[in-house]
Amino acid sequence: MILQVPILALLLGSALASAVALWAACFAIRVLRGWDITNGSGQQLALERATQLVSTLFGLVMLIEIAALFLFVFNADRMATLFVGAMCAVGTFNANAWGFPALTLKIAVFFAAALWLRLDRLDRAGHDYPLTRVKYAAILGIAPLLLANAAAELAYFLNLKTDVITSCCSKLYTPANAGLAAEMTGLAPGRALWLLAICGLAVALAGGAVLLRGRGARLLALAGIAFFLAALTAIVSVISLYVYDHPNHHCPFCLLKRDYGYFGYALYIPLFAGTALAAGVGMMRALPRSDSLAAITPLAIRRHTRRALAAFALFGAAVLWAIASSQLILFG
Amino acid sequence: MTRRSPLVFGLIGAGCALLALEAMHSKLMTPAGAARMARSAELVRRAGLTDLALFTEARFARNPALADLHTAFQDSPLSFEHFPSGTFAPRPAAGFGQGTLRFGTEEDAR
Amino acid sequence: MTPWVRRQQALADYTLAAMARRRVKNIGLLLIYALVIFVIASATLFSTALRHEAEIVLAEAPELIVQNLVMGRHDMISAEIIEELEAIRGVGGVTGRLWGYFYDRVNGANYTLMVPLDPKMVPPAGQALFGEALPRTRGLGWDTAPLFLSRYPGDLFRLDPAGRLSHESALVSADLILLGEEDFRAFFDLPPAVYTDIAVSIRNSREIDTIVAKAGKLLPNARLVTRDEISRTYQKLFYWREGIMVAMAGASVLAFAIFAAEKASGLSAEETREIGILKAIGWDTRDVIAMKLWEGGLISLGAFLFGTGLAYLHVFAFDAALFASVLKGWSVIYPDFRLTPMIDGVQLTALFFLTVLPYTAATIVPIWRAATADPDQVMR
Repeated sequence: MILQVPILALLLGSALASAVALWAACFAIRVLRGWDITNGSGQQLALERATQLVSTLFGLVMLIEIAALFLFVFNADRMATLFVGAMCAVGTFNANAWGFPALTLKIAVFFAAALWLRLDRLDRAGHDYPLTRVKYAAILGIAPLLLANAAAELAYFLNLKTDVITSCCSKLYTPANAGLAAEMTGLAPGRALWLLAICGLAVALAGGAVLLRGRGARLLALAGIAFFLAALTAIVSVISLYVYDHPNHHCPFCLLKRDYGYFGYALYIPLFAGTALAAGVGMMRALPRSDSLAAITPLAIRRHTRRALAAFALFGAAVLWAIASSQLILFG
Repeated sequence: MTRRSPLVFGLIGAGCALLALEAMHSKLMTPAGAARMARSAELVRRAGLTDLALFTEARFARNPALADLHTAFQDSPLSFEHFPSGTFAPRPAAGFGQGTLRFGTEEDAR
Repeated sequence: MTPWVRRQQALADYTLAAMARRRVKNIGLLLIYALVIFVIASATLFSTALRHEAEIVLAEAPELIVQNLVMGRHDMISAEIIEELEAIRGVGGVTGRLWGYFYDRVNGANYTLMVPLDPKMVPPAGQALFGEALPRTRGLGWDTAPLFLSRYPGDLFRLDPAGRLSHESALVSADLILLGEEDFRAFFDLPPAVYTDIAVSIRNSREIDTIVAKAGKLLPNARLVTRDEISRTYQKLFYWREGIMVAMAGASVLAFAIFAAEKASGLSAEETREIGILKAIGWDTRDVIAMKLWEGGLISLGAFLFGTGLAYLHVFAFDAALFASVLKGWSVIYPDFRLTPMIDGVQLTALFFLTVLPYTAATIVPIWRAATADPDQVMR
């Protein structure tokens, strides 16, 4: 293990998160068994009281996990100097077998956290807590994810040794390899951009339908997720080339480096935010209807659709800017 | 009741301003600092230096990146952790040794 | 303004008024909290700046250093090896390095004597370039004052200053005496055609690994140190240093968290009554929790801002005066250096995690316990 402050911070964060997750999951089982808002018994009252604590704690944990994703990635980039052959975060994640699983789990936790926070806000807005059962069922689903994330992170950091030889991004993101990264790299730039544009159009249409006609929220969620995948592919396949002004450098992590003006953050933050918001819109539509939320949900859906569209538009603007300001000419 | 909040928010604002000023200060200092470090780097290149002059208390602490003639234990068998610098240098992460025995030239060439 | 914002504003107003009523207690808490953050933030800022500087400056170190080992110890390396190394394809230049230490009995300092690699930098015979700390610790009052070194009782070796190395590069040069080869060999009574070690410059950095392998085959007894290894040594050193500092400060964070939990759970009679009244006039448990979170948030934010702000001043305006003595150890020569300020999101986020998280974790359960109590129970 490398004794390093951000690592200590991340481990502290995930240890607290795991403790809260375990406890909240135990409590969630009690809620799912015995929750009845119409019942005035002492047991129900105690349960209602405890939900205040669990919701607050779990909400804080979710916020922390969102910040932890940023810290995890940024710090991996920073630590690349400690490994032989690493140029950017890819080398750090590749330094042992747990790096990329930990990152994937962190991203999964990020989206789960964003959705759960939305659910929590909506639940608190209704005076009779109409979504409590859904919320606690979701905690039961998220808790294992949090524990797995903490375990992968711990395994990753404990096995992290300096001076090991790791692979640089140029070895991972080449069309010559097998695997998903290589597939993404190998996709023709033109096709990747078309795919992105089509998904973008789908998002715009679905978003428009939600705003104007109040329909298509689930479609927007699906389009948002498709856009997310298309955007990641396009970043690896073509957008990174424009940012680096280099026809063969496909790395999606070098974008986060200072050398490229931290441009990756201008891409990833709107993209992740937009996807989380769009998925949240779909989730709000899919929730069980209730009287107390009848007036609130449609408003929230519209507000979040607007925000999601704005985030995706920001991402699009960043992409266009990268292409327009690049010296590289891929087409024509 | 609301009279308090301007004061406290003012203090918080002052804290934010302090931090913002410092961030700005560090931004402003960056070019000068980079130029200074470039001059130091020039000295390192021309003189052929390998180490920082931070630990000058003992000869064996001066060049942590290199082995040298004046290693630990030279003064007395107990002098290994004689100096406080020892607390700052970590144990080699990979342990001592390379972990493998190497035979043959092909392996070395790799 | 959305109702949510209005609600938060009202809560903040109320919280502030409530906190002002317990001014001394809250200010005390804030000060201790800020002190804890100050220590950790100072360690982080200091080590990040040092690490950055080491990375940039040592990037110009020789690509490869070849050292001779005899019986497991470093030994002088023969000049013949220079030619052997030059024959390796891809090697740009091979130069013997001459450097050694000198313990000055006058002030108890260790100097590093060295012949610069660049021939243009070598001072004329009888003269030397002095590092920043030398004139300071030997009390050489004026710029042309000569330096006398005594190797044994009755011996005096005179070196006239050819100039002084700039103050701004003190971090790499504070204890240096750069002198010519003849003077160096005469001073250490060194035979000709041996060097301390050999610096190899390699034009294409991608070939370093291949050349190291070839040199290793050529000189099986040699120790080869690459530039990346030198740089990583310092990265690790400062990461470790920072980690140790923060781990030690962890004890104080823990103590502080216990203190905060204690304070939050042992609500004063006045505070309990206040919560009771609030609930009696229709505040919800959620409102009370939100109010208490506001209180914790304000204290955390205030402590974080001031702790970090002061740490920045401590490290960059006052040259980390509180740490210098720790780093300095028993050295007589300690470089008088000023670090270039660096502040970034990773440091701040990590700092936030390490300080605000324990505080929040420690206070939230007591807060909830107080907030959910029945009004009649509390007021009784």
